[in-house]
Amino acid sequence: MTRTSNSLQSDPLSAPIVAEGLSRSFGSGDSIVQAVDGIDLEVHPGEIFGFLGPNGAGKSTTVRMLTTLLKPTSGTARVAGYDVVREADKVRRSIGVALQDAAIDPLMTGRELLALQSVLYGLPKNVGRIRSLELLERVGLTAAADRRVGTYSGGMRRRLDLALSLVHEPSVLFLDEPTTGLDPMSRLTLWEEVRRLNDAGTTVLLTTQYLEEADQLADRIAIIDHGHIVRQGVPRDLKAQVGFPTLSVRVDRDFTERAREILSRFGDLRPSAEGTLGVGLAHGAQDVATVVRALDEAGLKVRHLELDEPSLDDVFAEATGHRIEGAGSNSSSDSEEDGDEAPVRRRGRRRS
Amino acid sequence: MSIPLVTHSVALTKRSVRGRLRQPAVLAPSFIFPLFFAALGSASFSQLAQDPYFRENIASSFLNYAVAGAILQGVLFASTSAAGDLATDIEQGFFERLLASPITRTSIVLGRLAGSMVVGIIQVCVFLTIFTIAGARVESGPIGILGLIVASALLGLAMSALMAGLAIKSGSPEVVQGAFPLVFVLMFLSSAFFPRHYMSGWYATVADWNPMSHIVEGMQSFVNQDLQASQFLRAWLLPLGIAIISIAFALRTLSKRLAAS
Repeated sequence: MTRTSNSLQSDPLSAPIVAEGLSRSFGSGDSIVQAVDGIDLEVHPGEIFGFLGPNGAGKSTTVRMLTTLLKPTSGTARVAGYDVVREADKVRRSIGVALQDAAIDPLMTGRELLALQSVLYGLPKNVGRIRSLELLERVGLTAAADRRVGTYSGGMRRRLDLALSLVHEPSVLFLDEPTTGLDPMSRLTLWEEVRRLNDAGTTVLLTTQYLEEADQLADRIAIIDHGHIVRQGVPRDLKAQVGFPTLSVRVDRDFTERAREILSRFGDLRPSAEGTLGVGLAHGAQDVATVVRALDEAGLKVRHLELDEPSLDDVFAEATGHRIEGAGSNSSSDSEEDGDEAPVRRRGRRRS
Repeated sequence: MSIPLVTHSVALTKRSVRGRLRQPAVLAPSFIFPLFFAALGSASFSQLAQDPYFRENIASSFLNYAVAGAILQGVLFASTSAAGDLATDIEQGFFERLLASPITRTSIVLGRLAGSMVVGIIQVCVFLTIFTIAGARVESGPIGILGLIVASALLGLAMSALMAGLAIKSGSPEVVQGAFPLVFVLMFLSSAFFPRHYMSGWYATVADWNPMSHIVEGMQSFVNQDLQASQFLRAWLLPLGIAIISIAFALRTLSKRLAAS
């Protein structure tokens, strides 16, 4: 059931994706699960909008509603100017979708799949053929075009998936976790292609659990947790709102409580990786020496020390009280290091 | 039918046929087992052709009698596999890929059913060639061969629609494969492998009421008798009736599944 809203009668060119109070629950009675709970969203034309959150946060459910695959329990959404429930077919004709769970038939070749997709979108045969050739070239699959998809690597399948979503030259593109499970090189290649598409004017909504991906690609992001959008905005602004850098300290397990007490003198304690204590340094990086000295004077042996500029993980932690579990960010502490001297790292990420 | 429905169904039919032919390991049982059972039956029951009743009313040889049963068995195997492919599409997400496109929803089922019919026709042609080489003969001539092919296609349509409904409802290839033994039992309790005339007791009663008996006997009559109008009634109308009901079931299941999402 959807409710109508006058505020959603916006020009499709000015707001390719708009959602108001979008909700979806599963089950009934006592076992009801509220997967998405009253999301408000507006994606501007020509931007890459990142939808960031951990597994099970509601990202894919939201995308499935916006792409007409799932009906909202309540709320309303317009994509490319059309209502996702009442004008579902028009929405489908206007968007490109590459879903995380949507398999590519392993028995077909890349060329055959593109031809099938062209037919489904009503392209004339010769137009579809030319378009397929262009797309195969664009995603670097010309040489593999006549091989069965079953023989493709994960990266090749994702690139083909992207090509399939572009057959009809959609104005709005949905990419659901496009790089999950890909190796770093394949990920970079896909990022490049997404940027190129965006430069050509395509509005992109991508979901990701990778902080770096959201940071690198998205003009604006929404952070979703337990079905709620907890933060929304430009990554740089969101990080600036968190403010202080985070110092992560690891001490021997027996001294954790003592270390927590000392660190709390220098700022608010923050959620951190397991076995590590995090503190937001109220006076910035200049406090590091004082913290180390205080820990040393208390006789605590520091096993690992790391200073992080505010990251999207900090934004997420600040908003939700916990970190994105398993997020593919390079902000997580990598390894326990031995030795008497505590290694110190200083990092920060900026969108290039 | 609207043009998109036709073009989408044709495109998905091609995909379905390609998919079947590209899985020889899955396709092989639908050829090997029926031929094996036919060979076994011919070797075991060849003496039956010495019985005057059999020769006059049923078939000139047990090999001739076995042709229709083998075709029926092959079509049922292939139909189940085709529905299994649909369930795999649902389970692995290709179905969702289709739904995300502006495809006419009905064509998802129609394409799969038409694909199953095409494979069924190919199968009948292969079987008839092999049986002819082995010494069987279609008594009702070329029109009878055509009748046999159409009957097989209609039966394939009926069974694959029934199984497709199950596939859409369950979304599980295992459930579809799990239902096949029931079809197999139904086939064994018919006159597909042995004439009803020689059955007795409850076996004969079940076979009398089993629609599969009447379909296969209609098909057998194309192989073993001169051309008659009644052959078409049994071999075509019965599977056509089942096909209509099965297609309605499959489309209704699809509609319910789409409404529930």
